[in-house]
Amino acid sequence: MRLELTVNRDPYRREVAPDASLLTVLRDDLGLTGTKWGCMTGDCGACTVLVDGEPVVSCLQLAQQVQGGEVTTVEGLGRDGELGDIQAAFVRNGAAQCGFCTPGMIVAAEALLRHNAAAGEAEIREGLAGNLCRCTGYNKIVDAVLEVGRARSAAT
Amino acid sequence: MSGLLVGAILRSPHPHARIRSIDISAAEQLPGVHAVVHAGNVEQRPFGYNHDNLPLKGDKVRFIGDELAAVAAIDEETARQALELIRVDYELLPAVFDPFEALDESSPPIHDELPDLEGNVAMRWDFDHGDVAAAEAEAAVIVEGTYSSPQAAPAAIETHVVIAAFDPDGHLTVWSPVHMVFMYRKELADCLGLDWQQITIIQPPVGGSFGGKIDIDPHDFITVMLARKARRPVRLVLSREDEFIGTRTRQPIHFKLRTGADAEGKLLFRDAEIVSDNGAYNGWGSHAMLVAMNTITSMYRVPASRVRCAVTYTNKNYGGSVRGFGNPQATFAVEQQMEELADALGMDPMDVRLRNANQPADVTPQGMEITSCGLTECLQIVREQSGWDERRGKLRERHRGLGAAAYIHVGGGARIYGSDGCGAMVKVDDSGQITLISGSSELGQGSETALAMIVAEEMHVPLEAVHVINSNTDVKPWDVGVHASRTTFVAGNAARMAAADARDQLLETAAELLEAPVDRLRIVDGTVGVVDDPERRMDYARLVRRRLLREQGSVVMATAFYDPPTEMQKEYRGNISAAYGFGAHVAEVEVDPDTGMVRLLNLWTAHDVGRAINPMLCEGQIEGGAAMGIGLALSEELVIFDGRIAAPNLHDYGLPTALDVPRIVVNLVETIDPRGPFGAKGIGEGGIIPPAAAIANAIADATGIRPREYPMRPWKVKGWIDTQERSIVVRNDA
Amino acid sequence: MPELYVPAQLEDALGFMGEHAGLALPVAGGTDVLIDLRIGRATPKWLVDLSPLEALAGLAFDGETLRIGALTRIRTIELDAEVARRAPAVVEAARVLGSVQIRTMATVGGNICHATPSAEMPPALLVHDAVATVAGPDGERSLSLSELFSGPGKTTLENSELLTAVTLRAPKERSGSCYLRQTVRWSMDLAGVGVAAAVETDGAVVTGARVALCAVAPVPLLVAEAADAVVGTELTTETAVEAAARAAAACSPITDARGTAEYRRQVVAVLVARALRIAWLRATGEWPAGVPAPINGVLSGEGA
Ligand SMILES: Cc1cc2nc3c(=O)[nH]c(=O)nc-3n(C[C@@H](O)[C@@H](O)[C@H](O)COP(=O)(O)OP(=O)(O)OC[C@H]3O[C@@H](n4cnc5c(N)ncnc54)[C@H](O)[C@@H]3O)c2cc1C
Ligand code: FES
Ligand code: FES
Repeated sequence: MRLELTVNRDPYRREVAPDASLLTVLRDDLGLTGTKWGCMTGDCGACTVLVDGEPVVSCLQLAQQVQGGEVTTVEGLGRDGELGDIQAAFVRNGAAQCGFCTPGMIVAAEALLRHNAAAGEAEIREGLAGNLCRCTGYNKIVDAVLEVGRARSAAT
Repeated sequence: MSGLLVGAILRSPHPHARIRSIDISAAEQLPGVHAVVHAGNVEQRPFGYNHDNLPLKGDKVRFIGDELAAVAAIDEETARQALELIRVDYELLPAVFDPFEALDESSPPIHDELPDLEGNVAMRWDFDHGDVAAAEAEAAVIVEGTYSSPQAAPAAIETHVVIAAFDPDGHLTVWSPVHMVFMYRKELADCLGLDWQQITIIQPPVGGSFGGKIDIDPHDFITVMLARKARRPVRLVLSREDEFIGTRTRQPIHFKLRTGADAEGKLLFRDAEIVSDNGAYNGWGSHAMLVAMNTITSMYRVPASRVRCAVTYTNKNYGGSVRGFGNPQATFAVEQQMEELADALGMDPMDVRLRNANQPADVTPQGMEITSCGLTECLQIVREQSGWDERRGKLRERHRGLGAAAYIHVGGGARIYGSDGCGAMVKVDDSGQITLISGSSELGQGSETALAMIVAEEMHVPLEAVHVINSNTDVKPWDVGVHASRTTFVAGNAARMAAADARDQLLETAAELLEAPVDRLRIVDGTVGVVDDPERRMDYARLVRRRLLREQGSVVMATAFYDPPTEMQKEYRGNISAAYGFGAHVAEVEVDPDTGMVRLLNLWTAHDVGRAINPMLCEGQIEGGAAMGIGLALSEELVIFDGRIAAPNLHDYGLPTALDVPRIVVNLVETIDPRGPFGAKGIGEGGIIPPAAAIANAIADATGIRPREYPMRPWKVKGWIDTQERSIVVRNDA
Repeated sequence: MPELYVPAQLEDALGFMGEHAGLALPVAGGTDVLIDLRIGRATPKWLVDLSPLEALAGLAFDGETLRIGALTRIRTIELDAEVARRAPAVVEAARVLGSVQIRTMATVGGNICHATPSAEMPPALLVHDAVATVAGPDGERSLSLSELFSGPGKTTLENSELLTAVTLRAPKERSGSCYLRQTVRWSMDLAGVGVAAAVETDGAVVTGARVALCAVAPVPLLVAEAADAVVGTELTTETAVEAAARAAAACSPITDARGTAEYRRQVVAVLVARALRIAWLRATGEWPAGVPAPINGVLSGEGA
């Protein structure tokens, strides 16, 4: 079935299976492997992307429902080959160890901060609860997001 | 990679069955299928610590998930259809799920092919030290109890992925996330009858392991078998379900423990009977018992101990070497009894711990030679930060409580193989770039950065100047592998030695070119200069070029091999590690006594890391470890009904989320170990060890009950409250 | 592999479902459907994408009633201040469902129609007297929400019918409701037990009450005898406990990886009493406005 969508500001057109998930399309059809998977049941959040600005788990997102929509993956959050502010804060704070959860985590953090840049620790933990990290124990991830939130709030 | 096929495995649906026949003919006929393998059409030899396992089972299956056959096909859909076409005829056998039943001579034999097993006991390990009977007679207080743990999973977020490809000339390359690459290569060769000189193992970046990817698994062999048969490269990706069902888990261990102390709280003896439920086969995971034994005999000063261990076979997924390796389980028993003893004596548990704390220069009953030891300081820090003296025992009205636990763990390698060594090479090229080629592997724990920092420090250059290569067996020198929190210590020492040698080579050239003796040279930021003469200096790049671009020139390149000064244990005695790590945690919980739900409010931790080479990485290891410990304590379990994992998914397994883990307070205690690189000790496992025990003690403080097993899921806590499960004090003359 | 049909409006969807009765599976947010397809629990020939049917999404209030379109996302409900004021139980159930990502995708209609025994929206909706609106080839019909469930994973919807909305009685004055649950983890966990309660008062005593449960019976349960125990009383701890005992007696939990039957029954008794009390405090204005209840009624994790 024909699928048209915009990913990270680039327009794509592909023939995909009618029941394909957005994750499969991104990774297998478009070769955008920055988005990871860890479960295919919506439980780990590694596959999180934004669809029209809202966070979804792409493993459970029927690709056809995104027809004509705008998808942002972790690759779309940096600019011109530079790290985005959340990515940079993750590096500074040691918020990524193996890095496997990181793409989904960063996209979820982006959604959270767009919703409320002034989010406190409790709100951040709640907003990231759908993204499992087995390596870090979350402290440093929360610190990184708090830091970006403060910087963004100060900038506006 | 062109022509890459998809591999898929057929697993046993039965916990214990004889295989009458396997028919693969229909699967082989399916268009798009390029290979079907099963025990009847491949060459394979038993592997594993007890040589009790075959990649593809031919006679019997011994747990739900056991590998029977596999296919390589053009895509997942075809592979799945092919698996459905394989016909297996089983004769069902009675199964053993309970390790205590497995001890029984009359339990149905799981490994009838292995001679001389009594019941389903794979191994027994006994240890005696001092006079337990005399100590028991003397004790003022004795507590006794049972402490159990479940089957748990390492559950890295990335599942296992293996790719195998043969060159036209027969050379095999395997891309695998395994930690023990050199052993892996040998086991592949031995089991499959391949020439191990013709095998290259490459480690791509790994999405976490925690011991789940430490050893070779049947699916590793199977991927190679498929590639060999299909004559095409094959990729095998485990689904999350397969990951839970078919890869190694943390084995349940059951302790019956007695501890005695005198009226002043000085420990007199420990007496433990330990049964490990290690599942259908014995990998290295069976040795988790050794670590458990260390903790029984050596956590705190214990003058007399008696330990009886049995490793049993059961018809369940088998145990591996998961982070902490037997120690969270043992600490759950030992550290609960420390508080039980203290309470019976009317003493503060922290005082009892401090009275018995291990100290530098101690040699434990098993011959572990403690060099640096910050246990006392760690205990004092968490005591102070948690407000222990003012608050413990006083929060019960608010259903809150505090509990503590400490640990001892190897921190300078662990000699359980002939060598515990690691090789390293350092080269400096004509651009001045420094490359460390290390035998060790990066699994996401940040060891690459720590090693680069060690080299940078030794060579007086900024961190960015050092590149690390460690992912290819063709290139890197031998290493036993990543385990036992050894990488910073062992690979770090090797890297440091090689870096020092490379630096000395540069100094030698500089002495010649700058016409000054070496002891008048100083290195600042990769430039060698003569003391008090700022004009006479030369950076590494120039030094290398001047050394190289001349007749009889030479490169700057150094190699080193570090094998820690340790010994293999004999009869469970010997200094297995060059250093030991210590730490202490205090947990604060709130319990809802009516539903048994427990909320962890705070976790204060202090860890003796020797030296924090990179504090952020140390904290990351501790925080991540502690979060896993919190998972063990409160939520993680593979619930098994009749040998079947009830819900092999991330939802029911119970990995802690950002809301389950509170802000963890980390204190790094530096004791500067005499043998560690710059004084550092291993820290990869420490964080996971104390939380379950500390949380159990906190629940006890909040409610008065005594937890008997983890995870302390709500219905268990509620059950203990309803039945008034208490500490068992078998003697109290104090 | 199923084919996908994308309707432009409700009539197209209903027509298509009628033509392919038994072979077409509607997809709303897909959070249940994609898993069902993957594990072979559903093997339809056709998927019918409901997401273009915008008329089925959204919230509408008129004085006493609140209409929630079947395609309304859980996240929309979670963030809506008006629902929070009128039907706090519904917001509390929405808040604990899955993760932000799941809530962004999942719809209330999907949560109802999948009929998972542990689904959390149904009890919260039931205590607000939810009426389901169902569209079929012959037009619309309405039924009380509890009549929609017939067993685990089963509803009374005909093959060619779709749920279009649920309508709640949600007066603002002197009423209150609450949803509580028991879980192992503090997030990303299905309920071991879920309990909703709603109370109305004339200022002195309870004039009407509802108690509903999930995860403790094959279908979500509205337990009338539990609610009756508190009507006419000033909802004290004792009357709440009596109501809770009746609820515990009425349910029929099972033992699985998420708890034992006996434990679940105990927890029903605890949570029903707590939920009723909180609903009462809300009805009487003693519960601070806008403050959600701790997820099991007591452990806030605060003061940490
Ligand atoms: C990780 C994860 C966590 C979760 N946690 C929770 C939780 O805590 N609590 C909880 O209650 N649930 C939880 N869920 C389940 C929840 O997401 C679903 O039940 C969701 O609400 C279903 O909505 P949907 O729009 O995604 O439905 P879909 O998956 O699109 O559909 C679900 C079912 O309903 C049918 N259907 C959908 N809409 C209609 C309609 N209008 N008319 C007729 N039939 C229809 C579909 O055919 C399908 O059978 C969780 C799910 C995941 C993946
Ligand atoms: S892969 Fe999508 S949530 Fe885990
Ligand atoms: S960094 Fe490894 S899972 Fe998060």
